[in-house]
Amino acid sequence: MGNSPDLLLLIGGPQGGGIESAGQIALKTLILKGYSVIGTRDYKSNIMGAHSYYTIRARFDRPGAIRFPVDAAVALDAESILTHFDDVRPGGIFVYDKGSLHTKIDAIQPMEQALKERLKKLFADKGLPPIAESAIKLAEEKGVRLIPLPMRQLVRKLAEITGASLTSVARAVNTIGLTAMLYLMGIEPRCVEKAIATHFAAKKKVVAINVEASKLAVDYVEENFGAPSEFLPDGPHRGKKVMLATGNEVVAMGKITGGLTFQSYYPITPASDEAIYMEKFRYHQLTSEAEAKLGTPKLGTVIVQTEDELSAIIMAIGAASAGARAATSTSGPGFALMNEAISLAIMAEVPVVITIWQRGGPSTGLPTKEGQQDLLHALFSGHGDNPKIVLASGDHVEAFYDAIKLLNWAEKYQTPVIHLVDKYLASTTTVLYQDEIDPGKAVIERGWRVENPTTEKRYMITDTGISPFIPIGGDTMIITGLEHTEEGFPTEDPVLRDEMVEKRRRKFETIAKEIPAEEKVILHGDPDAKVTLVSWGSTKPIILESLKILEEKGVKANFLQIRLFYPFPVKEVLDVLSRAETVINIEQNDLLQAAFLIKGFTGYDIKHHIKKTNGRAFWDTEIANAVLEILETGKREVVVKGGA
Amino acid sequence: MARNWLEYKTPAWVQWCPGCGNYGILAAVQRAVAELDIDPKKLTIVSGIGCSGRETYYIKGSNMHVVHGRAIPAATGVKLAKPDQTVLAIGGDGDMLGIGVEHFVSVGRRNVNITVIVHDNSVYGLTKGQAGPTLPAWVQTKALPGPNLHDNLNPLLLAFASGYTFIARGYAYHVDQTKELIKQAIEHKGTSLVHILQPCPTYNNIMTKQWYEQRIYYLEEENPEWNPLVTSQQDLLQKMPTILEKLVEWGDKIPLGVFYRNISKDTFEERLGKIILNYQEYPPGKRPIAIDGKPLVNPWEVFKEKVIQT
Repeated sequence: MGNSPDLLLLIGGPQGGGIESAGQIALKTLILKGYSVIGTRDYKSNIMGAHSYYTIRARFDRPGAIRFPVDAAVALDAESILTHFDDVRPGGIFVYDKGSLHTKIDAIQPMEQALKERLKKLFADKGLPPIAESAIKLAEEKGVRLIPLPMRQLVRKLAEITGASLTSVARAVNTIGLTAMLYLMGIEPRCVEKAIATHFAAKKKVVAINVEASKLAVDYVEENFGAPSEFLPDGPHRGKKVMLATGNEVVAMGKITGGLTFQSYYPITPASDEAIYMEKFRYHQLTSEAEAKLGTPKLGTVIVQTEDELSAIIMAIGAASAGARAATSTSGPGFALMNEAISLAIMAEVPVVITIWQRGGPSTGLPTKEGQQDLLHALFSGHGDNPKIVLASGDHVEAFYDAIKLLNWAEKYQTPVIHLVDKYLASTTTVLYQDEIDPGKAVIERGWRVENPTTEKRYMITDTGISPFIPIGGDTMIITGLEHTEEGFPTEDPVLRDEMVEKRRRKFETIAKEIPAEEKVILHGDPDAKVTLVSWGSTKPIILESLKILEEKGVKANFLQIRLFYPFPVKEVLDVLSRAETVINIEQNDLLQAAFLIKGFTGYDIKHHIKKTNGRAFWDTEIANAVLEILETGKREVVVKGGA
Repeated sequence: MARNWLEYKTPAWVQWCPGCGNYGILAAVQRAVAELDIDPKKLTIVSGIGCSGRETYYIKGSNMHVVHGRAIPAATGVKLAKPDQTVLAIGGDGDMLGIGVEHFVSVGRRNVNITVIVHDNSVYGLTKGQAGPTLPAWVQTKALPGPNLHDNLNPLLLAFASGYTFIARGYAYHVDQTKELIKQAIEHKGTSLVHILQPCPTYNNIMTKQWYEQRIYYLEEENPEWNPLVTSQQDLLQKMPTILEKLVEWGDKIPLGVFYRNISKDTFEERLGKIILNYQEYPPGKRPIAIDGKPLVNPWEVFKEKVIQT
């Protein structure tokens, strides 16, 4: 789409101070302007007070990556000023609170000590004092346009205008800063006002305060810095019906659309938001067709918060055994607790989906930061021979349909299915169009289910390895983790043991055969390109952006996205890798887990790697630059380190 | 109409040691479900790991044998998916009060309508005689290299504190009385505990048949007026001292019978039914999820709070 502006914006502030809300209002403003958007939230493992920030990118077509430097930033406290003064490009806009300039670095308690030391050294080297104002000086030197706002006076004025108390208008500081930034970037105030009304919807008083705050910001900016020379062109999406949702929410929507009837979970970041969102809709409206046919307007999905993850997975297994369409959702540490039960579900052939929202590990690691460190954990989870389906979604749209498909596969193949997603997807909000979230494209299948059996045996040995699924209550039976006869009685007989091992193996051969190739891997870009980038999970849209940057720089590359990790698509992966001259693997973990699996399953040893382990998602530019560096120098490994 | 308890036998060989208390419990469960006329298909026995875990293979039902300590959450999953199923979670003292104690506690908070049966022999039989969570301190059963240094846990008191609404104790060799306790537990609406004292003739040479039989007595034998029924919070506060006195009694005298039966609390299924109004009719294990492979919901309608008209 030609002549599209490409906007990168940042809003920083203390956790619990309305940054999330400000980010959502900014996204809605840009959507109402007709743009496509993504926005992502970076936060710390803290409830209140620590620094958090929201980064947004908007243009005509959907942006795939966030990156620094940004075009404009809002920093309404000293920590935000000090954290982000260098994140704005020369010529960009830095909106900040005038009243925070004299704050000393050491007076900011929540700030990381390591960052304080780096800043103090930087300022001392330049002969500047260790206060926020020094950051502003450096930004100015770099050519950033400074927009100081006297926040205290503006808030007082807002209280006067609205007649509300100072405490009740305090949160509107974000709206003042945000509007100032958006206005100077060329966004009409009416879009901001409409976004405020949409965001706070029924809270009339909050809408009124924030609209006034927005007007106040526009007046102050015009008076002191002048109006923008022109407004940006409207985007091509005006008049459309769209959705704005995070990865957590999209997976919840997929599960409910996919007919999930039971989910158990234990609270953990960044997974719980998925279950919490589902819980909001646990008694949901059916379509009018469904209502007419079934004679009920609503149906329920039972969501249970359990005492721990051991209980979460076993409760889902119990419900699934009794015929529920069941799932659980967790992150790395919680999944570690679930391991024994994964092995049970494999042996007992119970359909259950486990959604793993990965984050930075090991151990508690970086509980609120990005990481793709649980690929091997997922694949090798459970003791004994432990095959299970493992699939990684690349973006919001994939995650929606995958949430449905994986419920189907779990039931069809009566096996645990692991859905790998991560923190970046979890807390990235994007705009979704009607053809992207289309229930018409969703298919629900349950496989060979026998509700009222006559002669079937629960663990019947078959050519496909798939036995009839008979839910508990349908017949007498034993669902068991012991090696068993076709009826489920325990056996240690050597011949029967092998027959059962082979039956379960045949099941995975059937799975490998039946899952369509396009679900296993996707080759993006020119199949004949000499350079192939390999990656998985939420790096997908970022790498697609990197390909465009590389093309501008004269490098033609394609991108092999691996979705299915078990059963591993050996042929599909080898077909692509064996054609490429240079293969570069890209992942967000230190052990290069996907490369390890590729080598193990295919024998192909990838020679070049780009990785990021600092807890921040990749930027499109840093991947493109790292690719160029590898092509120039032949380096084996480039570690990229961007992020605040 | 009662069924013949032989209907609940299976072809599996019962592999316990001769004289094991489990035989009595097995017979008591089979007779209880027979007298309650529960269709074997509608009966679910869920067990964990240990000698008692094998009971799932010996009682005809629609059963599950899961991992160590997790019978209760699996049983909860089954019950919530199919609330019309009669669900019993069974296990030993190690399974229920050691490795799985968090579930033993948490199920009480939910008051799910299931029955928990603890086979308590105070030792880990299947792994050859280690100390169980109910073995008193300084007792040295025969497989232990030295005396037990852990105090014994009181399952009844723990269940009471956790919110169980039915608490009973039986003795494995009293099949008839234990059967009656199990019947009452199954018929009770809410989480019920039947704690069954059980000699382990192979590994527990201290708490033997003689040891137990010198100590046990039935509550209503001692006091014909004994009444464990609680009908309100006020009633509970009034009866609590008497109930607690019996819950903690352990030593020269060990009481058996029904200690506590509270009918004033709603079950988890009833709570769910207040949010998902047609839960009983369309529970997770029975509700439709699609019509001809098509979803029953439209995300643009259900999640309309996320929809923006630009």
